[in-house]
Amino acid sequence: MNNLLEINNISKSYHTKEGEILAIKEINLTINKGEIISLVGPSGCGKSTLLSIISGLDKLDKGIIKKDKDLKIGYMLQSDALLPFLTIYENAILGLKIQNNLTKDRLNYVDYLLKLYNLDDFKNNYPSSLSGGMKQRLALIRTLAINPDILLLDEPFSALDQQSRLMISDDVYKIVKKEKKTVILVTHNIEEATVFSDKVIILSKRPAIIKNIININLENNSSIYERRKDKDFNKYFDLIWKDLDNNDN
Amino acid sequence: MTTEHKKYLLKFKIEQAKIFFFQLLIIISFLVLWEILVNTGILSAFIYSSPSRIVNTIIDLIKANNFFIHIYITLKEVLISFILGLSLGFIIALILYECPFLAKIFDPFLTMINSLPKVALGPLIIIICGANVKSIILMALLINLIINIISIYNGFLGTNEYQLKLFKSFNATKWQILTKLVIPSSYRTIISSLKLCVSQTLIGVIMGEFLVSKQGIGYLIVYGKQVFNLNLVMSGIIILAIISFVLYKLIVILEKKLLKNI
Repeated sequence: MNNLLEINNISKSYHTKEGEILAIKEINLTINKGEIISLVGPSGCGKSTLLSIISGLDKLDKGIIKKDKDLKIGYMLQSDALLPFLTIYENAILGLKIQNNLTKDRLNYVDYLLKLYNLDDFKNNYPSSLSGGMKQRLALIRTLAINPDILLLDEPFSALDQQSRLMISDDVYKIVKKEKKTVILVTHNIEEATVFSDKVIILSKRPAIIKNIININLENNSSIYERRKDKDFNKYFDLIWKDLDNNDN
Repeated sequence: MTTEHKKYLLKFKIEQAKIFFFQLLIIISFLVLWEILVNTGILSAFIYSSPSRIVNTIIDLIKANNFFIHIYITLKEVLISFILGLSLGFIIALILYECPFLAKIFDPFLTMINSLPKVALGPLIIIICGANVKSIILMALLINLIINIISIYNGFLGTNEYQLKLFKSFNATKWQILTKLVIPSSYRTIISSLKLCVSQTLIGVIMGEFLVSKQGIGYLIVYGKQVFNLNLVMSGIIILAIISFVLYKLIVILEKKLLKNI
């Protein structure tokens, strides 16, 4: 595997009138092409901060991130962040429009995804007519439309009900596997991290440091449902849980 | 359409019709009662006028070719002040949004000017601008501008943080963030600001006309008071109420068009 991203010794602090808060401390991480990584850790430990730094939205204080300057990043957030005043199609192509990349290829790909996720018939409707699950699917299409080299998923399923959560996480899993996308997923859900990832990175309480890295080797990669049935699923689940449990002690 | 849905729609329409009926009933009852009380001498016709006297006064104004000129003058002043207030308010709100440091500096001044009774500035405005239409527009502008700045600026600040993050993750330029996200997201606040602005502008214009004008509805009211023609005063007030209602309804129509999908 080729290195897509190399994170060397990065730290980040936030400054308030009350004092300085060290959010993440000396994190080292290498992300290979096609790898699916989950970041898990206690609430407020700095998972999302790390993602923001990787995306370039947040500046780091110390350390360096080595990445190709043309590396395209797709960011999927907790909220679908759909624009209510744009149609579903206009939302789907928003990233392409901003990046001035409305080529025939990309538009055909958006059409393909809209059909794949049964949103084709709603193309000219507005997001208010969609269910929570459909909105998150549209957010996924919008993210994939720009053909990102790496997908940053910041708890994208957390606002969904259990059924939608399973369905959409499976959609995302299948498409990232099919298209061999590199993914960094931030999640609170150990089950999700286990079935979704090739590697789970466990972060400590703030300031976040890498506590443990667990490589997940489940045999079946066809869907997250199948991965959940794997005989080793519980073993990995327990490993992650133990590491997280130690965080609180 | 199912029978249940037809029933629901019918129930909805009946309720709307009932509301309209009672609104109309209140207005008609008020006018009839007013007319009776004045005609029976319980209320003084000289002080309180009456609906029939107001109608006659308006007919006299129309016959004398005065009626529409006064309305036109007031509407023109309202429109100029409204457009100026809205445009300046929008531009200043944008500058404050783009320069948070500037916004922090000006915050207490905006609050201070907003709470100042603008009518107190009337004599000063007349001395600076003269007893002309400029004073009226400046008075209206002082009243509507600060409210516009504050409400539009707050609308910009209310832009969804996730949507902002999304735009930044697409490497959107500042201009793209502003034109494709911040401004369209603030339509609702801008429209609310328009509603407030239209009534405040009307107040400002009438206040200005009270002070300096020789034409306009405000002038009619002041003139009526000076010559003790209270029919004219009441006519002016009724015309103002109608103008205010029509302007407000126009904004509501605009609101429905702009916000139909939000």
